[in-house]
Amino acid sequence: MKSIAAIFFVFALALSSAGAKDLKLLNVSYDPTRELYQEFNTAFAKHWQAKTGDKVTVQQSHGGSGKQARSVIDGLEADVVTLALAYDVDAIAEKGRLLPKDWQARLPHNSAPYTSTIVFLVRKGNPKGIKDWNDLIKPGVGIIPANPKTSGAARWTYLAAWGYALKQNNGDEAKAKEFVAKFYKNVPVFDTGARGATTTFIQRGIGDVLVNWENEAYAALREAGPDKFEIITPSVSILAEPTVALVDRVTKRKGTADVAKGYLDYLYSDEGQDIAGKNFYRPRSEKALAKYAGQFVKLSLFTIDEVFGGWAKANKTHFADGGIFDQIQRK
Amino acid sequence: MKIPQFVTVSVLAGVLLLPASVRAQSATDQKLLQKIEELEQKLKVLERKQELKDEETTAKAKTTPSIVLGEKGFGFTSADEAFALRLRGVLQLDSRTFFRDHGIAGNDGFLVRRARPIIEGTVYRDFDFQFVPDFGGPTAQIFDAFLNYRAFPELQLKVGKFKSPVGLEQLTVDVETLFNERALPTALTPNRDLGVQLHGEAFSGRVSYAGGVFNGSGDARNSTNLDTDDTKEFAGRIFFQPFKPEADSFLRGLGFGLGGSYGSEHNNTSLPATTGGTLGGYATDGQQQFFAYNPTTGVVNANGEHWRLSPQGYYYYGPFGLFGEYVISNQRLSRTGAAPLSSVRLENTGWEITGSYLLTGETAAYKGGVNPTHPFSLSEGGWGAWQLVARYAELNVDEAAFPVFANPATSASGAQAWSFGLNWYLNRNITLKTSFSHTTFDFVSGGGTGTRAATTAPGIVARQSENVVFTRVQLAF
Repeated sequence: MKSIAAIFFVFALALSSAGAKDLKLLNVSYDPTRELYQEFNTAFAKHWQAKTGDKVTVQQSHGGSGKQARSVIDGLEADVVTLALAYDVDAIAEKGRLLPKDWQARLPHNSAPYTSTIVFLVRKGNPKGIKDWNDLIKPGVGIIPANPKTSGAARWTYLAAWGYALKQNNGDEAKAKEFVAKFYKNVPVFDTGARGATTTFIQRGIGDVLVNWENEAYAALREAGPDKFEIITPSVSILAEPTVALVDRVTKRKGTADVAKGYLDYLYSDEGQDIAGKNFYRPRSEKALAKYAGQFVKLSLFTIDEVFGGWAKANKTHFADGGIFDQIQRK
Repeated sequence: MKIPQFVTVSVLAGVLLLPASVRAQSATDQKLLQKIEELEQKLKVLERKQELKDEETTAKAKTTPSIVLGEKGFGFTSADEAFALRLRGVLQLDSRTFFRDHGIAGNDGFLVRRARPIIEGTVYRDFDFQFVPDFGGPTAQIFDAFLNYRAFPELQLKVGKFKSPVGLEQLTVDVETLFNERALPTALTPNRDLGVQLHGEAFSGRVSYAGGVFNGSGDARNSTNLDTDDTKEFAGRIFFQPFKPEADSFLRGLGFGLGGSYGSEHNNTSLPATTGGTLGGYATDGQQQFFAYNPTTGVVNANGEHWRLSPQGYYYYGPFGLFGEYVISNQRLSRTGAAPLSSVRLENTGWEITGSYLLTGETAAYKGGVNPTHPFSLSEGGWGAWQLVARYAELNVDEAAFPVFANPATSASGAQAWSFGLNWYLNRNITLKTSFSHTTFDFVSGGGTGTRAATTAPGIVARQSENVVFTRVQLAF
């Protein structure tokens, strides 16, 4: 029997000694964060190697936030998720049981290291004269948002439009519903994610106005050029708080919990916040916010808690099967 | 829905061909221009919707499991191929007809030789499993049940019940044997056993190896799924195919190696058979037992060291195939229960050489079976593949076994068999086989005087030779 034990010992030793210092992380994120995390991953890898000596390679996966959450629940082995909605991370905690339900309390600012909002991108010269949300529901205006069933940006867009309508109509829910119904009547094509919507608007030349993340609009403007498009900031919009979380069960199994936690912590560092600002996300730190204050137009922002009572309630009322979004789509 | 390109081109051409001055001239013209722009937008929207639909279809295909239904069975595979489930099966319907057997009743007949559903698959890409029950014998039993971890092609770990890695013909897949039954020396090699095995192949398949620790099984026995002693058997095999990667070399089909086992056994289930009747024992091609440890009094047990050694090799070139092996099985035995009590080390040996030739020109190989160039079809004129096969084999029992450990009256000390046959592969799944086998026996001085059991089949051979015609209808997928 000693011989058997020896065989297993040698085998186990061979397996355990392979690649101990070469770490790999998978960051499952939403659609428009490609450029942000490309830059951040490089910075973090340098930081982690200097701190621990370990080499880290971070792989990225991008798609509509809701679709990405479902992939993680179905088995995509994400070490960290950086999604558009806290609701999507909640789903991973509740349906996938891959992290604790109180995940949002584990990092500062409710695990949202940067914020954004929803703005408009129009073609140069603003031929349809769009200035605010109420211009979007006029007949003949083609609006390009993503699909709220699959995209985080699209849900923020829907809620921003709803919040604006409520404010304009003294809290009248029926009028808000009517407003949002008109809004989506002007949508010629739905993309599943924010980046797809940008492609539809810019590369395919469809529609008069792209309604999307502020960071996505600025990135598109930088890419396509200010001679072709311009950004319109509405009078009021929603404070979007994309959230990040460690996927406990995956990192425990892969032995990557320390580096994954370090990765998320680094988003709050000076360098992490600076990279967020550089990529048109609104940083949390005062220092970075001050540095990039010039690129963000000031506007009135409301939170989801203030107007909708939080994500769970907003989802149940508006986006669940049979919710208001389904009702207005059926009309 | 795909928008015809000429429609798009026509509309855009229409837009572009309109002179700017005309466009701006009048309100009518403005309306016309607006209409064209609207039409252009509609076309773009339709095209984008189609593009998104195509993207969705492509994405869906990446996550949709595939179903395979073909000559290699039925299966389901996840889109990323990390998970798979396959259902295969084997059915062998045989007949054995004995000639000049001096009127022995009960040994001619039809039989279901093997009836095995094979359930196999893969989980998490690197873990394979197989489960094979058999319903062909008098009782249903589990033949194979194992889990295999493919860390690398060079290093794999197999746990469960499977064939012990010693004999060349023993390791041939059951549906790919050239004759209905394996040759005499295979009886000296271990069959399926329970254990743990490391195995793999390296240098582009030039070297393959397997080595493991097993419960230990007697010659010509399958493990009974439990072990009745504390001792274990180590079995291993190394095999070389030095020209395997060289596609054009005439030596590509050359392979040679060495298999062996070493262990210690201490009961009578570690022997080929201790009585007559239906137990395996050393049997002829016709599956009639010609030797058993069956003294007239007392019980024979394995009593210590047991080792086997099997040099082996093959050569395949085009339609021609040749393989052979030599096997030594050396085992210590004791007899108890009646005087004289004894202990002895016996060495039984056997060898075979088997040749085959595919008359229809297909390529022969040790693994993979025969793939007919023109599968049998009356409507399309194919006649499948036809193969001639011939074999000579011997098994020699250590004469020191007689008379204390085996009854010389009813156990032969050796057997020699020559066989020839014709195999017809209608397609990859259906094979018809027919063959003739002639076996003669040796007896120690004064032996072979017993008679065959007349009422049990297979019986125990007496002095006369065995002549048997086999047929087989085989379905394998």
